[in-house]
Amino acid sequence: MSQVPSAVLSCHNLGKSFGRDRRRDTVLADINLSLQQGDFVTILGQSGGGKSTLLKLMGGFLAPSSGSVSFHGQPLKGITPKIGMVFQEHSLYPWMTVEQNIGFGFKVRGELPQSYRNRVQNMIEQVELDDARKRYPHQLSGGMKQRVAIARSLVVKPDVLLLDEPFSALDVQLRRQLQAFLLAIWRETSTPMLLVTHNVEEAILLGQRLIVVGDRPGQIIAEVSTAAAEFRGRYHPKFLKLQRHLESVLEYNSATADLEYHPEETASAWQN
Amino acid sequence: MSAVGFAMFNPKFDQSWKRSVLSVTCGLISCIVLILLWEWMGSSPENPVTQVLPPPSRFLPVLFESDFKIGLGSQSASIYQSIFVTLLRVLTGMTLAFVGSVLCGMLISLSKWSELFILPILGLIAPIAPIAWVPLALVVFGISNLTAVFIVFMGVFFTLTIATVAEIKRIPDNLLITAKNLGGQEFNVWRMVILPSVLPGVFTLLRLNFIAAWMAVLAAEMTGLRDGLGAVVMTGRNLFNSNLILLGICVIGITGFAVDRLLLLIQKKFFWWQV
Repeated sequence: MSQVPSAVLSCHNLGKSFGRDRRRDTVLADINLSLQQGDFVTILGQSGGGKSTLLKLMGGFLAPSSGSVSFHGQPLKGITPKIGMVFQEHSLYPWMTVEQNIGFGFKVRGELPQSYRNRVQNMIEQVELDDARKRYPHQLSGGMKQRVAIARSLVVKPDVLLLDEPFSALDVQLRRQLQAFLLAIWRETSTPMLLVTHNVEEAILLGQRLIVVGDRPGQIIAEVSTAAAEFRGRYHPKFLKLQRHLESVLEYNSATADLEYHPEETASAWQN
Repeated sequence: MSAVGFAMFNPKFDQSWKRSVLSVTCGLISCIVLILLWEWMGSSPENPVTQVLPPPSRFLPVLFESDFKIGLGSQSASIYQSIFVTLLRVLTGMTLAFVGSVLCGMLISLSKWSELFILPILGLIAPIAPIAWVPLALVVFGISNLTAVFIVFMGVFFTLTIATVAEIKRIPDNLLITAKNLGGQEFNVWRMVILPSVLPGVFTLLRLNFIAAWMAVLAAEMTGLRDGLGAVVMTGRNLFNSNLILLGICVIGITGFAVDRLLLLIQKKFFWWQV
């Protein structure tokens, strides 16, 4: 997992601590990962384990305590519109309609409406919010709000999209609909995506590559390729086996956790 | 589709429509009960209160006969003029205070140092009751509209400026980070995110401060200025005319209530969101 020159976004020995001296709390340590063009990487970890901090570091929202973040091979110096971000809690502007929220990125940069009107229109159609274009956020469901937030980030064509547990506040049914929606958007746009979640099923289902971040200090304890077609069906035996394995990895904070937990069962499963 | 027809097919509208009708009906009933009580109290000639508080049956015909004119000869003015003058003073002062406080609050929030130096001064001046500025304003501006506008402004401006600074601090980080993440220019972030985020909260406080501003202007009109609704009540006192005093009191109450409803309407129409 060393720094790859052609990576769109990468980090090298990244670490983050809060506080000073005795009260120093190391949240992340020695994180190395890279995101290539067309990648969909999911980061799995327990709540409070530093996943969101990792995402904020990768997006330039926080400065690292050690190590570095590179964007297109250059050191990342702060927030850039080229790295889009979708937050856990929607951050839509309540006084703007769906259409205005989606076009906000252009407006706040001072671009003229005629220069971006068509792009906003196309994005509204792409996220299937045509009927809701004149509605305000309080008139939308939780799923619609997140679709608007994703559309707003994508319409300005970022080079990378970071997603911080975007579906965690939604019920199971809606979450599944939006997972399918996000996959479809990713296939259509090929925008590299980095999504953090504490939901094992979501991490396997969405990512082409899955990285498990352990607890305090957060370090990468496992990396799994989930690009195979079997991992797109949540009832496939391979999917379920990996899900169980990752659940025990998270529980015991160790990559070999399930061998300790279900030795006779998992040893044979992973030999196949 | 008629309003009733629309209400039938729209449950939400139906509910809010019912709530409005209920609130207006209850308000009207309580006003009628108050008037009837007043009439009943004043109907007994032996009651000493009748001398200072004539019942509606005696008070209203006198008003209609007088053509709602107050004062004598060329000095007389209609009650409508008095309402207009008082309203103009209050609304001018409040508008200036609202715009000024939002701009000042935003400027103060630009720098931590200005917050540290300026906020304590504002905190010191804000608790001064608007009425306390009346003598000073009369000395500085004399008997003029400027005096009343100044009193309203001083009564509202400092509280609203402190509120603007507090509202700016209360804006969720996500809203600001998103704007910057989308490439927002600093000025545009202030104009398109920070300003709309603080306006509803500051306007709500303006509405709450209206009563204080209203009372301050009336006090100024009673003590120094020669026209306006406050002056109507004082003219009634000087002429020992209890009908005129009552007219002034009723108009002050009704106008104040109407302006409060108007501000509520503006709030619902233009500043309805919450961040």
